[in-house]
Amino acid sequence: MQNNANDTNSVPDLQKGEIFANGFWHNNAIFAQLLGMCPLLGVTTSAENGFWMGAATLLVLIGSNLTVSLIRGAIPANVRIPAYITIIAAFVSIVEMGMNAWMHEMYLILGLFIPLIVVNCAILGRAEAFASKNTPINSLVDALAMGSGFTFALVLLGGIRELLGQGEFFGFDIFGPSYPDVLMFILPPGAFIALGFILAGVNIINRKMKEHKDQQAVALIQAQTATAEVQP
Amino acid sequence: MKVDRGQWQMIIALLVVGVICTLLLATTNIFTRAPIAQAERQALMNALMQVLPKHENDPIRDTRNIILAGDKKPTNFYFSRNAAGTINAIAWQVTAPDGYNGSIHILMAVHPDGSINAIRVTGHKETPGLGDGITKNQSWLDSFGDKSLANANWAVKKDGGDFDQFTGATITPRAVVKAVKKGLSMYASLSAKLLSSPNKNTSEEAHAK
Repeated sequence: MQNNANDTNSVPDLQKGEIFANGFWHNNAIFAQLLGMCPLLGVTTSAENGFWMGAATLLVLIGSNLTVSLIRGAIPANVRIPAYITIIAAFVSIVEMGMNAWMHEMYLILGLFIPLIVVNCAILGRAEAFASKNTPINSLVDALAMGSGFTFALVLLGGIRELLGQGEFFGFDIFGPSYPDVLMFILPPGAFIALGFILAGVNIINRKMKEHKDQQAVALIQAQTATAEVQP
Repeated sequence: MKVDRGQWQMIIALLVVGVICTLLLATTNIFTRAPIAQAERQALMNALMQVLPKHENDPIRDTRNIILAGDKKPTNFYFSRNAAGTINAIAWQVTAPDGYNGSIHILMAVHPDGSINAIRVTGHKETPGLGDGITKNQSWLDSFGDKSLANANWAVKKDGGDFDQFTGATITPRAVVKAVKKGLSMYASLSAKLLSSPNKNTSEEAHAK
């Protein structure tokens, strides 16, 4: 991350990269905050369903983050939450109408989960915690990062469930016709079990990353003390 | 109660946000209304194509609304005609209220003699992998072909009938069989009326009415 002092002259780029890394991984709505569980567990019976649910959420996030950031000075603090919810609901309705018109089959599959994006607290959370305090450009980066991180989580869970439950990935047969479909992974309990293993995997990766960072820091300090000792 | 400056600000802020959002939604509605109608029509068309035999007319326009006994909403009957204009099948939607998980919607098409041409499930919330065989199990769907009230025993095999149940799912196919049987009984009592329906594709005045 920001441990390299030589990069300070490229602050704007670094910040954008940092916002993205935070939104996509370190502060991921699913992996880190465990928000948006309802669509996560509800629609991820296949990778494709997960992808389009994530894409719909991403579009709403972009719209709401940009709008909230643009009007951030004009909304009195007391009424900001109703104003944000109105904006989010408007973008959800737009996405819903658009999907109904141009992706009718997916609209029927996702059904009630599209209107339910309104109550996805990850979206209101970003409006309140980020977009209301940052510039439109940074809010857009944050929306892209959060939205793609959420989509990534949905596709990952959907893909695992589809692979184990039906032997397919995005509708392509992977394990061949002799694969005995493990029905449990298509059913709700399979969603919880697969999510548990994903979260365990995320924790392992995070621990490995932290250990790596710690080792680097220790090596840096040792190198600095070594040079200090050499000098007279 | 006097409204002070801060309160006015809140009222105006929410009002402006509400008005802008409403305008945005109204605009989107204008642009998506026609594509949505088209998509729904296409979905109905696809479903009808799967259940109807070869036809020379446009079944979506060749319809008749009848309020069936016991129903509040009218049922749409879609007529399929051969080149001579004679009805070779009639399709309509029936609902099985007693699925394992809510209602199951079925589109069924019958020949004029009361035997089934084909059925398709158009909407359901049955358990994936168990009850959803009603959409995926083609041989099971095909087993309805040419069955009529006279030549089949309308129950699942477990109940002594002619239709297979699925492993681990009896309630779902039982509900479908029951609903289709009910549809056939309804057809038997209405067939004379339905078969005398005018051909709306040739008589435009009838459609305009």
